[in-house]
Amino acid sequence: MNELVLTLGWLGIYAPMALGAAASAIGCSIAGMASIGAMTETEGGYGRFVGVSAFPSTMVIYGIVIMFTLNREVTPENAGGLFGIGILSGIALMYCGIWQGRACAAAINATKEKPEIFGLSLAPAAIIEGFGVFAFVFALVISAGIS
Amino acid sequence: MPNPDAYIALISSLPGSERLFVAKQPPLSRLRLDRRLTALTPEDARVLKVLEHALNWGDYDIGVTDAQAIGRCNEALHDISQPTLRKMLIERMDLRTVVAALRLRKRGVSPPAGSFGMGRWARHIPANWNDPSFRLEGPMPWIKEAQQLLDAADPLGLERLLLSVSHKQLKRHAARHYFDFEAVVIYVLIWNIFDRWAQSNAQEAAKRFEHLAQQAMANVADIDFDGANA
Repeated sequence: MNELVLTLGWLGIYAPMALGAAASAIGCSIAGMASIGAMTETEGGYGRFVGVSAFPSTMVIYGIVIMFTLNREVTPENAGGLFGIGILSGIALMYCGIWQGRACAAAINATKEKPEIFGLSLAPAAIIEGFGVFAFVFALVISAGIS
Repeated sequence: MPNPDAYIALISSLPGSERLFVAKQPPLSRLRLDRRLTALTPEDARVLKVLEHALNWGDYDIGVTDAQAIGRCNEALHDISQPTLRKMLIERMDLRTVVAALRLRKRGVSPPAGSFGMGRWARHIPANWNDPSFRLEGPMPWIKEAQQLLDAADPLGLERLLLSVSHKQLKRHAARHYFDFEAVVIYVLIWNIFDRWAQSNAQEAAKRFEHLAQQAMANVADIDFDGANA
């Protein structure tokens, strides 16, 4: 039984990093495909498109920081806490990354028609980033209570 | 399971559909559109072809019968599995059924027995043949205007009204599809409406023809057909 609990603890430590990496990969690829499409239709502003498509890469950074914060000796007493915080923060980061990628793709698609709305079109992606930051910060706060 | 992100690059590489109607020059020719559509999977390309084949008037013979047209649409519905696309096809058939009924009634034809055309109103229309709008003002508020244009013998006005109604229907569906196959199909159907719209603008076409003719003939006066310049 103890082995299973310890395994879950290790899973919790690595989950934010793994799920954050998956989130960034999917989000960046979604936004990246939009930027490639937009480049074939527009005459300039390619750098902006590529820059926006890199937005979801922050999720893996949050995941790495959470992983290092949770990284400690895993015991039967702290394994449950590590598992809960790690898995749930990882899932939150994954959803944030994927949907941020979609929001960025929509922003790129709109910006190619109306370059003047570039800043405003990024508001939904920025709001999603805020939710990712919530998941990140409170994972750090809560992890301080695990022995 | 349908992938909502299947055609992100393709959709992003197309000019916005709103721009089609405000541009002086078409921002995207059919040739370029077809080249972009090569990104579709073979199955999706086949579905798009089936849907366009069922909707494009150009694909129908002039002497096509009601039964043949209905048969083609039923075959298309059999081939199309996406609920949104099926709904779009049925909506367009509803519209065509109603307009065909309006035209028939104007010619003084008596109400058809049983059902007429295809779609939701096939039985409703013959049952309400003598009502000016077949009692369809609720689901089809444009029917009164269509009747007026038909009475005023304004086919161009009627064509534009129907294109505008079809465009609104497609935009309503577009609000739920951003980067999936349905979004691509909606774009292509809007492009087809734009194409018909542009073709129906006779005045602009005449002006453009005159402009092109003048351009082409600009240097003709300087040419001496005996081989020397004037």
